[in-house]
Amino acid sequence: MRALRKAGAALALCAAALFTAAAPAVADGNDGKDAQNGKDGLTEAGTNFRTATALEQGEKATATASTGDYLYWAVPVAAGQVPTVEAKVKLPDASARHGGATWQLDVYDGLRRHQPCASGSPTHHADQQDTSVSLSCTVRQVRSWSERWANDPLPGAYYLRLTVVDLPEQDLGLPIDAEVTTTARDAGGKHADGGELAEPLNPSLRAGTIAEPDSEPPSDADSGSGSDSGDADEDSPRAVAEPEDGWGSGWWSDRWVWTAGGGALGALAAVGGYTLTRGPRSSGTGSGRPPADG
Amino acid sequence: MIIKKRLVTGAAGLLAALACGLILPPTATADEPSRPSPKVELVLDVSGSMRARDVDGASRMSAAKQAFNEVLDATPEEVRLGIRTLGATYPGKDRKVGCQDSKQLYPVGHVDRTEAKAAVATLRPTGWTPIGLALRGASKDLAGDDATRRIVLITDGEDSCGRPDPCDVARELAADGTHLVVDTLGLTPDRKVREQLSCIAEATGGTYTAVQHTDELSSRIKQLVRRTAETPVQTPTGVQGAAQCAKAPELGTGLYNDRERFGEHRWYRMKVAPGKELRASVSVAADRAVDPDYGVLLRAVTPGGRELVRGSEAGSGRTDVISTGLRYPVADADDDEDTTPRTVCLELSQSFSAPAGVKRTPGLPVELAVDVVDNDEPPADVAAFGLGRGWVLLGVLAVTGLVAGLVWGWVARWRITVWRSN
Repeated sequence: MRALRKAGAALALCAAALFTAAAPAVADGNDGKDAQNGKDGLTEAGTNFRTATALEQGEKATATASTGDYLYWAVPVAAGQVPTVEAKVKLPDASARHGGATWQLDVYDGLRRHQPCASGSPTHHADQQDTSVSLSCTVRQVRSWSERWANDPLPGAYYLRLTVVDLPEQDLGLPIDAEVTTTARDAGGKHADGGELAEPLNPSLRAGTIAEPDSEPPSDADSGSGSDSGDADEDSPRAVAEPEDGWGSGWWSDRWVWTAGGGALGALAAVGGYTLTRGPRSSGTGSGRPPADG
Repeated sequence: MIIKKRLVTGAAGLLAALACGLILPPTATADEPSRPSPKVELVLDVSGSMRARDVDGASRMSAAKQAFNEVLDATPEEVRLGIRTLGATYPGKDRKVGCQDSKQLYPVGHVDRTEAKAAVATLRPTGWTPIGLALRGASKDLAGDDATRRIVLITDGEDSCGRPDPCDVARELAADGTHLVVDTLGLTPDRKVREQLSCIAEATGGTYTAVQHTDELSSRIKQLVRRTAETPVQTPTGVQGAAQCAKAPELGTGLYNDRERFGEHRWYRMKVAPGKELRASVSVAADRAVDPDYGVLLRAVTPGGRELVRGSEAGSGRTDVISTGLRYPVADADDDEDTTPRTVCLELSQSFSAPAGVKRTPGLPVELAVDVVDNDEPPADVAAFGLGRGWVLLGVLAVTGLVAGLVWGWVARWRITVWRSN
């Protein structure tokens, strides 16, 4: 009996170990970026699209790097939001530099399409005596749906790339400190649009597989490569984690208030109009009539 | 009796432990079925010039040693680390012998700190600088399983051997499909060193750092080692696009890499079932000196040659990659039974060009990200749920209501009049 109890305890321990082991594995599924997520926020940047460091909206990410490095981050943006990216680069000592340099902040969507900045200053020239350079980029409002031929921003991962685009050759490799934050404001009901993307543009980070050239075409049940992307992809690591409020803008917008208000106003106006036509008659025949004498 | 009881307890415990062991490994590795620990090799220049005392008043060699000690202390457990030297043994003048001087100081594996430190302590600045040879050697040291690989090259001088050109070697190694990244650290602010080291870094997607202080050196190496541990283990699958769609390789979903020469077109194929949407992104990296204006074009084409949709991008100036992407939803078939996947061809071309004197082979690195997801319906209305908004809407509704009320009122009045008169 005791033996059994001991075995039970061992199994319980085992289960505990299992859970603790499973927890980091799940975190790994989220890109394994949590390890870097210390008290000071993220302190690393990726060096290409595939290794871009995932951050959340409002989170400040810093990175120590060399002048000339290409620094990548990825941030989730939902439909109906207008994201603004701000970056600040602390430049090397003016004495070590040999002239001015031009810094640039680029934003790419989850399909790696370059997204233009609707406002902000994504490119900035820093003079030799400047100690830091600030860049910002506000992307167009993220739509909930767009036609396939359009380049409209869609919900999903957005890649930020920070680099120097023009510099004196001697300054390559000098140390810099970079800092980025992404904030997003809600575009509001004015821009609440219809439609919904079945899946956000959140790229999978899984290695691909190549079908054998002479292999049988996949059976109907598998329905081609679609099957690979089905349930299996749910588990595969993605560029960014889904935001708390989901990828969509939700069903609510102030259009409901306007439309319902409009309906009520219309109804009131109808009652008013009706009363107007009845008004003179009722005053003629009803209480408006002069009281009968005697 | 007691012994027997103990035996039973032991057996039960063993059983539990076994069960535990059986359950645990799959959960720990559920996400990545085979996850070889990342490998990194530090390649240190021990040539004679490392004697120069210009890093915070100490010699370059002692700065490097101090940095190495700090790095060895900070190396994450999961990283397999090795050390290779160049120019450490032959002090003579014979170029031929001096340019073969590169050896592995500490084999790639889980680090025994004391052993590794002792090995580093023995180094004395000695010989030549055969960087190309050392890179090839380091690549061999890192060969083996499918782990992520990184070489960190620390040097104070340009390759004094000339052949093989280290930059070409780096590009060849990167094109080997081993996903090798070379990060370089230069200890001298010399133009030739900078050009050579940044060329090596550019060729492999690595970084170049100019080091001026000891603390910069150690923190940068630590950062690079840490980066090795954090890089996603899933490396893209190698694929070779064909010159035409009919012969193109068929891709599933996920990440792929390829090489495309200047002016070349590459074709790939995808099978997409009705009701699914194809998403493809591509980035072409500039891993060598290229002309300042460039572009990329990705087209989705039917096997018959009709263009379905395209993604394109152009740019100019300094860049690491140029990228674009496209979405192609395959409409649901009229017949629900028809689930035959449609073949979609992807054609990739880029308009990079290189100045004369730049090597044309191997081609530029290409990374493809392909995904197939559910299709989405076009929205019934551009506005959310077809709802309205604004003062005009309110005005229209109010006026409509008023008119309706008036008309209704007049009709009612007229009917009463008619009824009364009867």
